[in-house]
Amino acid sequence: MKRSRILALILAVLAIASPYANLLAGWTPPLATAVCFDTLALLGLNLIFGVGGMLAFGQAAFMALPAYGAGILDNLGVPFAFDLAAGIFGTIALAWLMARVFVRLPGVFFAVGTLGFGYVIEGITRAFPAITGGASGLAFARGRQIDGEVWYGIAVIALVCGIAVYARLVRGGFWRRLRTVCHDELAAAVVGIDVAHVKALVFTIGCSFAAIAGILHAYYVGVVIPEDAGIDRSLEQVGMVMVGGQGYLLGPLLGTAFIQWLSIVTGYAQQYELLIYGTAFLAAVLFARQGIAGWLLRLWRTLAGWLDGPPAKAPPSLRATITANESTERHGDCLKVSHVTKMFGGLRALDDVSFVVGFGEIFAVVGPNGAGKSTLFNIVSGIEQASAGDLHLAGRDLAPLPIEKRASLIGRSFQVARLVPDLTALENVMVRLDQIDPTLDEAERAAVALEQLEGFGLGQLAGRPVRDLPLGQRKLIDLTRAAVGDPPLVLLDEPAVGLTEDELAHLAQVMNQLRARGSAVIIVEHNIEFVASIAERGIVLDHGQTIALGRTVDILRDPRVHEAYYGALA
Amino acid sequence: MNPLSQAILSGLMMGSVYALLATGLVVVFHTSQIVNIAHGEGYAIGGIVTAVVAGRDLPLWVALGAGIVAAAAFSLMLERFLLRPRREWPINSLILITLAVAFFVRGALNVAVGTDPMSFPRLFVGPPIRIAGGVLPLQGLGLIAIGLSAAFAIPIFLAGTRLGRQLRATAENPDAAELMGVNVDFARGLSFAIAGACSALGALLLVPLVSVDFQTGLGMTMRGFIAAALAGMSPFLAIGCGLFLGLAEALVTTYWGALAKDPVVFLTLIAIALWQSRHIRFGGSLRA
Repeated sequence: MKRSRILALILAVLAIASPYANLLAGWTPPLATAVCFDTLALLGLNLIFGVGGMLAFGQAAFMALPAYGAGILDNLGVPFAFDLAAGIFGTIALAWLMARVFVRLPGVFFAVGTLGFGYVIEGITRAFPAITGGASGLAFARGRQIDGEVWYGIAVIALVCGIAVYARLVRGGFWRRLRTVCHDELAAAVVGIDVAHVKALVFTIGCSFAAIAGILHAYYVGVVIPEDAGIDRSLEQVGMVMVGGQGYLLGPLLGTAFIQWLSIVTGYAQQYELLIYGTAFLAAVLFARQGIAGWLLRLWRTLAGWLDGPPAKAPPSLRATITANESTERHGDCLKVSHVTKMFGGLRALDDVSFVVGFGEIFAVVGPNGAGKSTLFNIVSGIEQASAGDLHLAGRDLAPLPIEKRASLIGRSFQVARLVPDLTALENVMVRLDQIDPTLDEAERAAVALEQLEGFGLGQLAGRPVRDLPLGQRKLIDLTRAAVGDPPLVLLDEPAVGLTEDELAHLAQVMNQLRARGSAVIIVEHNIEFVASIAERGIVLDHGQTIALGRTVDILRDPRVHEAYYGALA
Repeated sequence: MNPLSQAILSGLMMGSVYALLATGLVVVFHTSQIVNIAHGEGYAIGGIVTAVVAGRDLPLWVALGAGIVAAAAFSLMLERFLLRPRREWPINSLILITLAVAFFVRGALNVAVGTDPMSFPRLFVGPPIRIAGGVLPLQGLGLIAIGLSAAFAIPIFLAGTRLGRQLRATAENPDAAELMGVNVDFARGLSFAIAGACSALGALLLVPLVSVDFQTGLGMTMRGFIAAALAGMSPFLAIGCGLFLGLAEALVTTYWGALAKDPVVFLTLIAIALWQSRHIRFGGSLRA
């Protein structure tokens, strides 16, 4: 066992024992118990807001709801075990229902929707005093029969389990998927992630943490009041996650412990509590976006490096063969576009465009700005629907397939690389593999992704976070991601823009590799020399109309192409 | 007394304030893409500063002026010192800043003036007006008249003046506006100041009737946002939606009781949010 592991274990045991040690004024077992329960709920919020980036401003309602549910059933004389189960699972079901509906809301509407939910639950608990106890709340007599020490034990066990579950969830493929969705939903869909499903799942899991924590908290405190569901509590929770360090495993624990201890030592000064809290929140948002956890983590890394010595060299990656999409035959026609028209209101962005691209062919789409090239790509990759016309890929109709389902058939790069900056190059490529080949395990995915990067001469960048890389290399990584898993069709959106001479030569090499493997490659490109050097055939669009179609040498010589493309220059 | 007429009259009063709040939020949203969660704090600051100054035996107009200036200055400072230096941050982080500011202001007001509701004398004193069995205080009539005029003045200012068009250009495309010689920073600052003054104006007219305390702000932000969201962030529509929200609240309170107000209002909000987003497949922009 590594020495740093042993130290971490010792620190954890000391932390658990600390409330009984009288080390710190105000840090007592009752406070620590409450902190454990709140942290459990905040782990869920950290998942939704810290990792998933969704502004969930109504989490307190998901803590109070199961407590109210269980309490009301208890008062009706329903057996205790059933009360608990109904409270928790009812809340989780409601969260799933809300998530399905709410995830489509863009950022701030999602925030206000969840905030509104908090208001509704608080309002309802006040509006029906006969059932909910009104302003004085609902009492839970059962919890008082349990000793404080036992409660602390329950709280610690619950929290340790919660942290273990959280740590188990937030890693590997799920972590990459979440980060991609959080950073760029469109790119996430294009690499094959069902964005709405992932967001709904994260929201529901997060709310499950809140539900379990909420019911434990209510039985521990012995009462649940309308304020427990209210938006003030919800927004305080967001603040605690921010102060603790959003997205960090220990962020919720540190934030909760710090803020709650602070309000205890300031003497529960009702008057100053809000100000202290507001100041901490504001300072964290403005100046310490990594929070306490981020700051401690840096310290810990130094300490661990000093304890353990330099990290052992990673074992050589095991070689996995790329599992090509064997089901599709790699000869004949790949993409067949027939009479595709796209209207934006009165504007014809594409007008009756038809062409065929074969396997093992590089096909160019050329035209001035506004010609409809990007619209064509968006229709092929499923981001937009054609107003009329058909698309067939290897004989299969694309129309019924949503964006994320097309990922195994179509790889796509973007004009400006849409990678997740805080993931490494390797992880960014793996995200696509997670989706299109679920049979691979983690090591195999890493091996395939690394092989692809090495094949494209980018192997030395694999472990680097994308944010540290220059734009040209990001474009090549984006392209690698589009090509990984050997999709039958690869769409490259202006791959040559912004590349240096060397990178350009490299790009040509990579594209020839793709062709050699039998993929059909379509590029949108303004660099005519590059297009002429690499593509056999192409199409020229202008204002949505096809003005030339055929061999690249012929279409580029066409006088109408000169006129449309060079305009005043011709 | 006719409960329906009474509900409509008080609904119009509250609605005028919501319309003012909503237009302020919309103006800020358009120039900066930020939904300012600290917007309602301008209302709280305006109302409380006025109450404090009026309590010092100074003339009422001095107190009212102080209230408006304080709220406009607060809003301007929020933009200038907290948001402007962080313009490159993601929008969600900027929204979190405004949320933190809302909490901070609440805490500061709590320490400064305590938890008691505060108020100050009415600007319009006189016998109340009776309309169709409902009673409207003279202050209420002034509130509706001044509030709605101010709310209407904003879209007219945006559409009809050079400065207003610069604000709109900033909203449409800040980079292009900057190239065309619009001072984007000035436009943003101005929009925040206008928004702050608007919410304070609402407070100056309404507080003599319903009082204000340190935690009024967030509720006001929420009301303003509901109206603005209902209007699809359009300044003209926001006025109508503010009035509608006020009327709906008053009618629910009259017929179902005050406790039903929040649940009904926020269920409406959720319904609106869903309606607004019916064509959106996911949160982000869909153009590649």
